[in-house]
Amino acid sequence: MENPLHHFELHPIVHLSLFGLDISINQAVIMMWAVCALVFLFFFLAARGRQLIPTKIQSLAEMAIEFLRTLVLDNMGEKGLKFFPFIATLFFFILFSNLLGLIPGAYTVTSQIMVTGLFAVVVYLISLVVGFSQHGLKFLTILAPSGTPWWLMPLMIPIEIVSQLARPVTLAVRLFANMTAGHTILNVLFGLMLSGGILIGWLPFGFTVPIYILEVFVAFIQAYIFTVLACVYIGDAIKLH
Amino acid sequence: MPREDPEGQDEFRKGLSFAARVGMELVVATLVGAFLGYLLDRFLGTKPWLMVVGVVVGAIAGFLNVYRFVQRMNQSE
Repeated sequence: MENPLHHFELHPIVHLSLFGLDISINQAVIMMWAVCALVFLFFFLAARGRQLIPTKIQSLAEMAIEFLRTLVLDNMGEKGLKFFPFIATLFFFILFSNLLGLIPGAYTVTSQIMVTGLFAVVVYLISLVVGFSQHGLKFLTILAPSGTPWWLMPLMIPIEIVSQLARPVTLAVRLFANMTAGHTILNVLFGLMLSGGILIGWLPFGFTVPIYILEVFVAFIQAYIFTVLACVYIGDAIKLH
Repeated sequence: MPREDPEGQDEFRKGLSFAARVGMELVVATLVGAFLGYLLDRFLGTKPWLMVVGVVVGAIAGFLNVYRFVQRMNQSE
């Protein structure tokens, strides 16, 4: 049986290099273009008519936008609304790449830790920039939770540093691990089906159906969680306790 | 995605995000602590000790994160 992680490998389709950097075009790059194009197409179709009585696709888009808006308002307050475009882009990009990756033969961009890691680092850097620009050096008090007695400080500060540094890592690993795990399970089940033959192979094949439905569900949930946590982290920096 | 009964859906979403977060939070915080300890060890040449401390500190940080998260959930209810 082939290695179940085989389909996560990237192979360059067009070899390109820029100043010694390898910028070859591989499946992931093409999928990202497809995701961008689809998100664009979705909102282009949704915003084309702008009728008072919305069409189906328009009301779907409006519902999603309204949902994200309350998410931003709940976690970041009024000041957070200027991050709304970023948060919405993040959500739709992750959601569409998760869903597109479920099409057999397509590549799941979010199963690359480089991609999810970059998102997480960008979110975390934004929260740092916002924190320092709004509160100056007072932002460092995020490392010392209010109400801590002074003699606990030497213990609390390293703990807070670790818990801060764990934020981008959890953000990246959660999305990456969920996508990779789901696709690996599907691959293993299909492999079992092929090696099981007609006598027993229908059993793993039957299991792929509920797992696939679960994966569609996970695609939504993971996009949602990533977005919520991005809101929470940036919101923490805005509010500071 | 949108459904008719927003109350129940909200509960459901909260529960799911809880389940998806807590485990990861504990594991990753411990690993980050261990890794920081390891790096400091290499810098200062105090092999295994700072890494041991790092694991403990990381585990505490993970528990603290989960504790705060649960508190926030209780508040919003």
